[in-house]
Amino acid sequence: MKIKIADIMIKAMAQTLADGDTVLHGLGSPLPAIAMHLAKASHAPDLVFFPVSEGLDPNPDRYRLRLSSADPDHFVGAKAVIELIETFDLASKGKLTAMFLGGAQIDSRGNTNLTCIGDYQRPKIKLPGGAATSFLTPLVKKLILWTTHHSKRVFVDRLNFLTGLGYEEGKDKEVTIITDKAVFMVEKGYLVLKSVHKDVSVKDVVENMSFAPIVGKYGVTTTPTSEDMVLIRNIDPDGIRFSEFEG
Amino acid sequence: MGVGETIGLIHDGDSVTLSGVSMVRAPMAFVKEIVKAKRKELSIIDREPGIDFDILIGAGAVKRVRFAMLGLELLGLAPNFRRAAEQGEIEYLETTCGAITNGLRAGAMGMPFVPVKGIIGTDLLPLHEKKGTWRVIDDPFSGEKIVAVKAIIPDVAVIHVQKADKFGNASIEGARFEDVYKAKSAKTLIITAEEIVDTKYFVGHPERNTIPYFYTAAVVHVPKGAYPTACYNYYPPDYGFVKNYVSMCRAGRFDEFIERWLRGEEDEN
Repeated sequence: MKIKIADIMIKAMAQTLADGDTVLHGLGSPLPAIAMHLAKASHAPDLVFFPVSEGLDPNPDRYRLRLSSADPDHFVGAKAVIELIETFDLASKGKLTAMFLGGAQIDSRGNTNLTCIGDYQRPKIKLPGGAATSFLTPLVKKLILWTTHHSKRVFVDRLNFLTGLGYEEGKDKEVTIITDKAVFMVEKGYLVLKSVHKDVSVKDVVENMSFAPIVGKYGVTTTPTSEDMVLIRNIDPDGIRFSEFEG
Repeated sequence: MGVGETIGLIHDGDSVTLSGVSMVRAPMAFVKEIVKAKRKELSIIDREPGIDFDILIGAGAVKRVRFAMLGLELLGLAPNFRRAAEQGEIEYLETTCGAITNGLRAGAMGMPFVPVKGIIGTDLLPLHEKKGTWRVIDDPFSGEKIVAVKAIIPDVAVIHVQKADKFGNASIEGARFEDVYKAKSAKTLIITAEEIVDTKYFVGHPERNTIPYFYTAAVVHVPKGAYPTACYNYYPPDYGFVKNYVSMCRAGRFDEFIERWLRGEEDEN
């Protein structure tokens, strides 16, 4: 079976996490959920895994990805019930180290909009909403943003609504953006290209953004190993991870 | 007591919160009763609701909705909510998970507000300051700016649980979300339960009692009361049901869905 873009994104997400990180994923987060399993099963065994389904450290051998990230089936092998509010308490204490969040619009500082396209009072499109974004983005040390639709529509000059804070001057905070084409980090308030995925050109990356990222020294995004792929396919035999790429 | 007999505890114009998140443990049988009883002008409030809120909005029961996220995850945007928000049919107030959960916790604690970190610098803040639901204050000890979130005290909370006794002692198994805070902050608490157990179930195992009887105004036995959302230890979410709901809504057949659902036909799939 071929390695797909989803798998490369999962690997890139996993690589942002270090051993000992305490990590939360929210609803509608198939790629982050697999990435957290992948990190914990490989380089980060002491990662603390908080799923929105509230079962602490689910067992990867029995975990199967579902259409809802809160599916109670994700309780398999969980060691405790951790209410979401408890992970928020940890965040307030600076003890939630990493969070994965999406962005319907992302600007050059890694600020995000998940609220609406157009005016808030009379939106062209009312998006589902930012969930924990406004609360958590100023509190976590590692903010990992993702989009499966790398385009000018997503990478905008000006957000229609500022739901989440990206780069914040003087703060110990690492902002990574993982798309279906490339990986970026926000450095000193600018979006810097870190790597492009296999078979993607830099031209393709840059031309599909409304602003110019900083392109200096960059690499090719690490492709998952065959071992990684065994874990990814065991967790998601039904290919639910691909559904975000549709539409 | 039947689920229909408790509907009198909810009035037109009430603020209502419901248990669960997304496709997990929403009190769907009770939602059906609200629609049947044609309740109007409700203010509905929850952290991350889904099909429960979307049905209430589609059925015209809602004046105002407050949420941190309202959608159907990988199954798409919530069709009625989206239309109603875009057409100006309802008032909506987006919030953020850490604020709404702590607002409910403040309600449960009997505190007028709680300070909540984060949020400052986002566009949600001016919206809520205007509505009077949040205020930036100075921490009286450090002097730093912090957001005060006003306590959320719903008129009614409807919480679906796995087990309860006839007195309203209730046991939530698995994820609790903010349901215990919702139960304790609301002025009136309605419990719907998969199973009614003897009080002996709690005696000797008091840790099973997540919401004790003195909070509870009414308890109703409703097997499959969360369906098509999930109830841990009882049944998974019915994703096929939600997919069908979305495609019927998209085809302009929401009214037909509601008629069939009220007659119980949608639940038989």
